[in-house]
Amino acid sequence: MIIFKGAAVRAEHPATRQILEPLNLTLAEDRISIIGANGSGKSTLLKLINSLVLPTSGQVLVNGLDTARKGSSVRRAVGFMFTDPLSQLIMPTGREDVELSLRRRHRNAEERRSAAEKVLDRFGLVHLADQSVYDLSGGERQLLALAVVLATEPEVLLADEPTTLLDLRNEERVRRMFRGLEQQVVFTTHSLDFALQADRTLVIDGGRVVFDGKPTEAVAAYRRLSVRDVAHEEPRR
Amino acid sequence: MRGHASLLGAYVERNSLLHAAPLWAKFMPVATLSVLVLMLNSPFATLVGLGLVVLGYLVGARLTLRELVQPLLRMWPLILILGAFQWFRSGPETAFTVVGNIAVCVLAALLVTLTTQSQRLLDGLVFLARPLRPLGVDPERLGLTIALMLRSIPYLVGAAEDSRDAARARGLERNPRALILPVFIGAVAYAHQTGEALAARGLADSDDDG
Repeated sequence: MIIFKGAAVRAEHPATRQILEPLNLTLAEDRISIIGANGSGKSTLLKLINSLVLPTSGQVLVNGLDTARKGSSVRRAVGFMFTDPLSQLIMPTGREDVELSLRRRHRNAEERRSAAEKVLDRFGLVHLADQSVYDLSGGERQLLALAVVLATEPEVLLADEPTTLLDLRNEERVRRMFRGLEQQVVFTTHSLDFALQADRTLVIDGGRVVFDGKPTEAVAAYRRLSVRDVAHEEPRR
Repeated sequence: MRGHASLLGAYVERNSLLHAAPLWAKFMPVATLSVLVLMLNSPFATLVGLGLVVLGYLVGARLTLRELVQPLLRMWPLILILGAFQWFRSGPETAFTVVGNIAVCVLAALLVTLTTQSQRLLDGLVFLARPLRPLGVDPERLGLTIALMLRSIPYLVGAAEDSRDAARARGLERNPRALILPVFIGAVAYAHQTGEALAARGLADSDDDG
């Protein structure tokens, strides 16, 4: 369970800029989607959950652990998937990257190699395991990034716009993978179809949660908000 | 970033004697050869060193001639300037020895990285760093740091090539700012990105919270 207790984030420069207004939320559902415009604070909210960003005030608790005080333990329990898999994949090949994830869990090289093989097999990536990550397609990279994160069997998976860079076919692949996961999954997305697959949806606007509820209602609220904002823009000459 | 940016000095999959050999069995001869050619400092020793390295690439590691020559092609401005300077200052024999010794050391070192998967390299570095544990050094973290440093070199070479192409496309190939600034900004962004990726996977953390 993820609990936000008045958690807020203020920019360092200028210090007056509030990135996220104080949040009070309890996230207990299996699938939670977060939607909102670019720069609205979606990614910051996600990064608060695995302490990649710390709240400047308030508290975030993940399964009872305070992200500010128990950062290492929180990160071990919470996996994070980046929008661009190349930001996530550190090693030259998929096999080596999965092995890197498993270094803490398996100190013995042989055990680690065997565990990595099992992870790659589970995700159907064995045939791509020894190729350079730069030679893989966008979808293959994203599946590999998912395998790399899930190799450590986190309790919670966070995904920051995991399908933004993918074509429709690969987006569907990732969505299917998400459906089959045992973990609690919290993801941000610009794909409203994807957002509708969740049990609960948050709409973020200007660092505030402006809607929190059923995905169908949240998507409708987000559409209204976007239409209203564009209508208020001054027409260009 | 272009794909080839990751390939300079990165592991190349082959079924060879050197690929199958343990890390220490590759590292020791490479270190010995490099030290010997530098100590002996003679054209004959350099020639023998070059011969051994070529043999190592083509027979020991079953790499191609292209994979052997590629690192030297990337270093050609340095080789040219250094060779010309030494020729002018001390004659052709010294020029051959100096340039040849550099080629032997670089190619021999690359032979280790080209035939060793980065995880095996990391295991080796962690093993070598273990005696430093009483001094408060975390071997796993030190090994990871060195492995990431090695991994970042080809990335930066690729970034420099991308930057050169971009400058050329805009007719700015003689503008140092257009050549250097994007590489510098890219390097900082790459470091930040890698740090965030490591932190997100808990690899930058110590075993316990404060």
